[in-house]
Amino acid sequence: MKLRGPDRGAIAFLAPYLIGTLALVLLPALLTFRYAFTDFTGLGQGGFTGLANLRRLYDDPFFHASLRASAIHVMIAVPLRLGLAVGLALLLAAPRRGGRWYRLAVYLPTVIPDVALALLFLWVLNPVYGPLNQLLGLLGLPQPTWLAEIAGARAGVILMLLFPIGEAFLVVLATRRAIGARLYEAAALEGARPWQQLRRITLPLLAPVLALLAIRDVALSLQSTFVPAYVLTDGGPLFATLYVPIYVFDQAFEFLGFGYSAMITLVVLAVTLLLVVGQLLLVRRWRAWRVLR
Amino acid sequence: MTVRFENVTKTFATANQPAVDQLDLVVGDGELLTVVGPSGCGKTTALRLLAGLDDPTSGRLHVDGRDVTDEPPHRRDVAMVFQDLALFPHLSARENVAFGPRVRGERGPALDRRIEELGDRLGMRAALDRYPDQLSGGERQRVALARAMVRSPRAYLLDEPLSDLDAQLRVRARAEIVELQREIGATMIYVTHDQAEAMTMGDRVAVLAEGRLQQVGPPVQVYDEPANLVVAGFVGSPPMNLLDGGSTTGRLLGGRPGEVVGVRPEHLVVDPDGRLAATVVVVERLGSETVLWVVGSDGIRLAVRTDPHRAVAPRDTVRLAPTPRRIHRFDAVSGVRR
Repeated sequence: MKLRGPDRGAIAFLAPYLIGTLALVLLPALLTFRYAFTDFTGLGQGGFTGLANLRRLYDDPFFHASLRASAIHVMIAVPLRLGLAVGLALLLAAPRRGGRWYRLAVYLPTVIPDVALALLFLWVLNPVYGPLNQLLGLLGLPQPTWLAEIAGARAGVILMLLFPIGEAFLVVLATRRAIGARLYEAAALEGARPWQQLRRITLPLLAPVLALLAIRDVALSLQSTFVPAYVLTDGGPLFATLYVPIYVFDQAFEFLGFGYSAMITLVVLAVTLLLVVGQLLLVRRWRAWRVLR
Repeated sequence: MTVRFENVTKTFATANQPAVDQLDLVVGDGELLTVVGPSGCGKTTALRLLAGLDDPTSGRLHVDGRDVTDEPPHRRDVAMVFQDLALFPHLSARENVAFGPRVRGERGPALDRRIEELGDRLGMRAALDRYPDQLSGGERQRVALARAMVRSPRAYLLDEPLSDLDAQLRVRARAEIVELQREIGATMIYVTHDQAEAMTMGDRVAVLAEGRLQQVGPPVQVYDEPANLVVAGFVGSPPMNLLDGGSTTGRLLGGRPGEVVGVRPEHLVVDPDGRLAATVVVVERLGSETVLWVVGSDGIRLAVRTDPHRAVAPRDTVRLAPTPRRIHRFDAVSGVRR
């Protein structure tokens, strides 16, 4: 294929990303694939061990615990994060006094580095002097010891991850604003109340975008547990927050099981793919999907 | 059932001039009133006020003798067809039509039957199960109409519903709308910027400009006796020739200083004995008629409507005679007809 001017320019612009993707994503991915079938420890060569890592995984109670922790997290965190982002976006989409400051406030936690947010939550969730328990105490509500309990630690991580939802918030905000005001006027003339407008117009028209965001958030939530678990709980108590990324990290860098952690990564990748493809198949059956496609 | 605007004014917060200025207008039972005016004249705003989509700054709105100014849109029992039609893109034509009845809790075979009858009546039954993006412009416009008709409202408000159709389809659709309106005997307000549409469709025509009602009356009356310069200049195509009564050409047409003389293109007759000599600039042959654009000795440009086969070419000199008693006079300052 002969390249003409603009194409060459485009390739020049894309080159850094191409190189970055190759060197930092594709190459390590290929290496991971290879390591998964070896007993590589990070030192030396490591010998080919066939499916030994997979067999080990199958019988590994810690892996099962970590899969369970991640699954519980995704099942609770994704609907909550999405629901919050959609709710806030719809609430703040209409022009109102000071609206931009509210929107800014929703987006702001997203730009805080994970580690900083996690350190902040270490303080927020402190059972003795943390503001959360002080507030609960003021309201006469029970004050859990948060990170020292199984449910409390999982809830704490979810709570922290309910804040960086700015991207989904922005996408829903923009999509909602792209729906013509005329549709709502037509609906109002026909007697549709606000909640009927939400159910019959807004949500169906947002559906394709919501589906994409949900798919994305499943993949994201499988990954994003690493920093909060690392800073807040280190997988505890009783492996309640030993999410898969933490377990992969522990295996690779604490126990020098590069080969084994590579196999875990592969399995999680396969599970993620399965979830994403499953969601896509489900979503494609929706009629609304074809509208905004 | 009647519709009444009582001294209605709407000033938007961002504007310093009212969009609708002290509008007083009554639409009679079963009447088709067309509202016409240049873009930005307030005609759409007037419709939205009546529908309840905007609140008037002052004045009252009445539907069938009932003051509906403070009622929400769906209690006014008026249906509106929007310029962009506002069909719900995620619903089929059938579901679009059923939207209103469904939100009001109506469903079942009776509703289905009514929708199919409407489909037959509007000649779009085959399109009922397609989605708006699969429909032609004409079909979309029919779906919007069916959505308005399905609940038999007291009044129909149509806001330039034909503006997206091509010219041929438009002429047909406007005849169909008039026929439909006669058939169901509904009160209808039809907003358009197309004066031909307004004149051909309306029992009466209301001309709006700068938020103010300039004139309202039967089409022929508005055409023959425009109340002021705005109406004279807007209604008719090509529009009425309007010239300074003190100019040479103006005086030849019987004008006096301090007034504006108006003469319609068809009331300037090519006549070898005519007082007015002018040079032809452009010849527009439309088939059924020919329009000459001529320039008088003082540089004033006039449109002349003449028979289609007249042998005339640019740079020819023609003599023109105005038809007696067809000269309009307007006050040069106020613009009001004298």
